Amino acid sequence: MRKNQTTLAVAGLAALIAVVPLMAHHAFGAEFDRDAPIRLQGPVVRLEWVNPHAWIHLEITKEDGTNEVWMVEGGTPNTLLRRGLRRDCLTPGTVIIVDGYQTKDHSLARANGRDVTFTDGTKIFLGSSGTGAPYEAEMLAARQEQGRC
Amino acid sequence: MRYTPSILAVFLMVGITGLFSQVTAQVQARAAGQWVMPRTADGHPDLQGNWTNATITLIQRRRDQDAVYSPEEALRLEGGRAARTEALNQPSDPDRKAPPVGGDGSTGAAGGVGGYNYFWIDAGSKVAKFNGELRTSLIVDPPDGRYPSRTDAARQRMSEASQFRRQFGQYDNPENRPLAERCIVSFGSNAGPPMLPNYFYNNNYTIVQTPDHIMIMTEMVHDVRIIRMGTPKPLPKNVRPWFGDSWGHWEGDTLVVETTNFSPVQLNRGQLSGATENLKITERLTRADEYTLNYEFTVDDLETWTDSWSGEVPFTRLPGLVYEYACHEGNYALFNVLRGARAQEQREGSRQIPKR
Repeated sequence: MRKNQTTLAVAGLAALIAVVPLMAHHAFGAEFDRDAPIRLQGPVVRLEWVNPHAWIHLEITKEDGTNEVWMVEGGTPNTLLRRGLRRDCLTPGTVIIVDGYQTKDHSLARANGRDVTFTDGTKIFLGSSGTGAPYEAEMLAARQEQGRC
Repeated sequence: MRYTPSILAVFLMVGITGLFSQVTAQVQARAAGQWVMPRTADGHPDLQGNWTNATITLIQRRRDQDAVYSPEEALRLEGGRAARTEALNQPSDPDRKAPPVGGDGSTGAAGGVGGYNYFWIDAGSKVAKFNGELRTSLIVDPPDGRYPSRTDAARQRMSEASQFRRQFGQYDNPENRPLAERCIVSFGSNAGPPMLPNYFYNNNYTIVQTPDHIMIMTEMVHDVRIIRMGTPKPLPKNVRPWFGDSWGHWEGDTLVVETTNFSPVQLNRGQLSGATENLKITERLTRADEYTLNYEFTVDDLETWTDSWSGEVPFTRLPGLVYEYACHEGNYALFNVLRGARAQEQREGSRQIPKR
């Protein structure tokens, strides 16, 4: 039942997720290959909390059984820092799921973090409406109870 | 000219009386719970601190809109933004597959590959409120809230600039990439002038003030403007620094800044595209209350626009810190873009990448 609800939510949000950057530090369409979609799952091994974009490194196990470290591009860390979200909110060893598109140079093992979640589908961080609305405080409190930022 | 001791004594008494009455007025205002303009040691308004101009009000007004929103309309818009954030915070399907081959349909800078999660974004959540009005645009003059038309000469300059760029492959070398991608200045017109929100993130500023200079640092790409105070001694016409040459003076409690000598590279971008080297931008910064700095600007270049145009933007106290934006530190993107173009050329045969 829970999964059905999640799937419905995903279907309803697909369009929203797809339209996030209208303007940004750089054009993602110039960096990533729309014909090379990927889905990655594995533990975080490193987090580069840098500008202009944070990079999450995770280790995946390939079909041949060997491991490979991929880098996944996010946004500016400054916005998260202002919300009190720190680099140690995503500790090494935490398993995450990433869907996105690979860089145009396929040898680089890099992709955009189009959607980065924990294995239960929840987002690794939460966005802020900036309004201080009650639901926002409730969500953050619930995540803190779970030991998440 | 020599003053007798008695004249000096009169001057001293007048000065002390004036100062005393000013201090008395401030003490009385504070006692009444009213906000009192903070001032620096030299008596001018203290503009220092961290400010943000993030807002959901767009620069240019829609053609069918009035100049101001009703309170109900503003609440509905702000509620819509909050609801969108809440929706984008919801979990995804943990069993989701990779996105579709050929792109996910996203547009703009997302370029069909979808960018990244919304939690990285901080685009503003409030309608711009200026002097009590809930504004539908940041441009206030022309009265329709829209950019005036560009002159024929400006259109010709823009066309020639575009033709010039088209002779080079946009991925051929770093110099052909946008200034923001190269970590030279921020995207949009964040640092300006005019200083406008980028509708994305880090729309934050730090102001530091001395009697001789005022520094405005924009969080994005650590763009820094240094405004010299006093009678302008303009730079030679051929010296054109990033963000232009800015001179400031006080008109009462308003800081007035006039900027000329814009870099020709910046003149070819965004709102300023097609502008001439004679462009002049005047800004006026006035403390409105404890939490608000009123920012007004006027863009003058009649060789480019058929009329001057002006805007009003509320800067509000930033409830947080401005962080370093060391853009070169992690700029893998420029490398990825250029190397990706080379890889694509190899896959598709040499020089198949379309020019602009």
